[in-house]
Amino acid sequence: MTTLTVTGPSLPRVIAAEWTKLLGLRSSTIVVVVTAAVSGLVTYLSANASSGDPGFDPLDSLTTGLPVAVIGPLVLGVLVGTGEFSTGMFRSTFAAVPRRLPVLVAQVVVTTALALLAAVLAVAAAVVGILPPASSRGITPDLLSEGTPQSLLGAGGFLVGAALFGLAAGALLRRTLPALLATIVVTLVLPVVLLLASELASDPLAASASNTVPTRTAVVNTIITFTPTGAGSLLTEPSSSGVDGAPNIGALGAALVLAAWVFVPLGAAALRLRRRDLV
Amino acid sequence: MSGHRLLAVTFPRVLAAEWSKLTSVSSTLWIALGTVVSTLSLAFALGLFVRAGDAVSGASVAVSGSLFAQLGMLVLGVLVGAGEFSTGTSTVTFAAVPRRLPVLAAQTLVTVAVALPTAVVCLVGSALVTTAARSAAGLTLDPADAGTVRILAGYVLYLTGVALFGVGLGALVRRPTGALLAGVVLFVVLDQLLATNPGRITDVLRAALPAAGTRLFADEGALPTHLGAGGGGLVLGAWVVAALAAAAYRLRRFDVT
Repeated sequence: MTTLTVTGPSLPRVIAAEWTKLLGLRSSTIVVVVTAAVSGLVTYLSANASSGDPGFDPLDSLTTGLPVAVIGPLVLGVLVGTGEFSTGMFRSTFAAVPRRLPVLVAQVVVTTALALLAAVLAVAAAVVGILPPASSRGITPDLLSEGTPQSLLGAGGFLVGAALFGLAAGALLRRTLPALLATIVVTLVLPVVLLLASELASDPLAASASNTVPTRTAVVNTIITFTPTGAGSLLTEPSSSGVDGAPNIGALGAALVLAAWVFVPLGAAALRLRRRDLV
Repeated sequence: MSGHRLLAVTFPRVLAAEWSKLTSVSSTLWIALGTVVSTLSLAFALGLFVRAGDAVSGASVAVSGSLFAQLGMLVLGVLVGAGEFSTGTSTVTFAAVPRRLPVLAAQTLVTVAVALPTAVVCLVGSALVTTAARSAAGLTLDPADAGTVRILAGYVLYLTGVALFGVGLGALVRRPTGALLAGVVLFVVLDQLLATNPGRITDVLRAALPAAGTRLFADEGALPTHLGAGGGGLVLGAWVVAALAAAAYRLRRFDVT
């Protein structure tokens, strides 16, 4: 008589399962490739456009592709978080892993891994993108110059953070369209709104008259600092002393802000997963 | 023997069917409500930053919630155009209307029927919630002024156009998420990216994007010289027609999966 050994769902196995699910989709590969391509192309176009300026520094253009490249990791995260709920696959998943939370942990792990790959490729593509405009001016960009390694690291961290933010929002809302809309509003539309507000708030006459920052400007800039995109731009400009009137939180503070945007919705998603019914 | 009376597939009946589909899902109401609430909140919040002496008109303060309003319109249109393909209702719809194109035409009309009133409510509501801000800054909203009328009407026209572009994009892509993403990239991301790198080429590119339609409700002084309000409206109109035509072509010539 043979005994059947049933192996329980250990975390490494759940991670392996999530990894298979993620790589089994064509869209995952597409997102990684498109993110890198868009990052390289936009950086190249931007550096090329400013290469005629007298004080042209190709390193200034390194992070110009970031606002567009961030869409890729964001979508990747949202799809990992909501995909199963829209296809109905979640029933098999949570039947196999009744404790539920290991699935969320595994999704965080695999999303981080793939987003890291996308981020490394996107940053590398951005570096390649500034080379032709730089060589047209006879400049050899020095990637080890002051602040540049931190800036590249910050850009990569911002992209991975965006993927995890998408995952957290997706796991919390469980529906693709609302989750995508929410993350798009926060990362892409909110910065434009705040830019509009800061244009209205700035008073060119008052600014030149005194050194104090007007209260309105300070309010808008403080909000900007604590949005994911604002924190991301602080990460990529380690030498900056923050924006006018906002508390100077530095690169570490910016990383913590980004982490809060990931872990607060992720915690809520874990709570919903643990306490409430699956749809 | 009871006779089965078969009703012919006429356009009014297709229109009635699309109308009941749109009004019987609760998401339509929520999208409309969400659009109005977020637009009014944004207009009110931006109104707090307006001061006397700012180079803005009273009408432009009233339409300042457009950034959120256009997103709501895009979602509305995309769901009308692509929603059926993700739920599978499309199979039934196109079995009932084998000529297919009347469905797209009816979807366009019912979208206008929802988008236009929503845009008007957004406009009137925004004008009301910014009353205090406008009077504090000494800005007037004079309905008899031609420039003001152009901005207010342009706002409603733009928002309706965005919803129609959403229908075309949704019916073309057939996936709500893909269509929404493409819409946001076209309307917000690319425009913003080009705006941060001003130059001759980027200005021309910006004028060719559907976001050029925002010039319909831009202040006279803020309008670029090469493409004014009417031109911007025509650019958006061209994008709407192109998206709907491409969707019609795909619908007519290819499988409906």
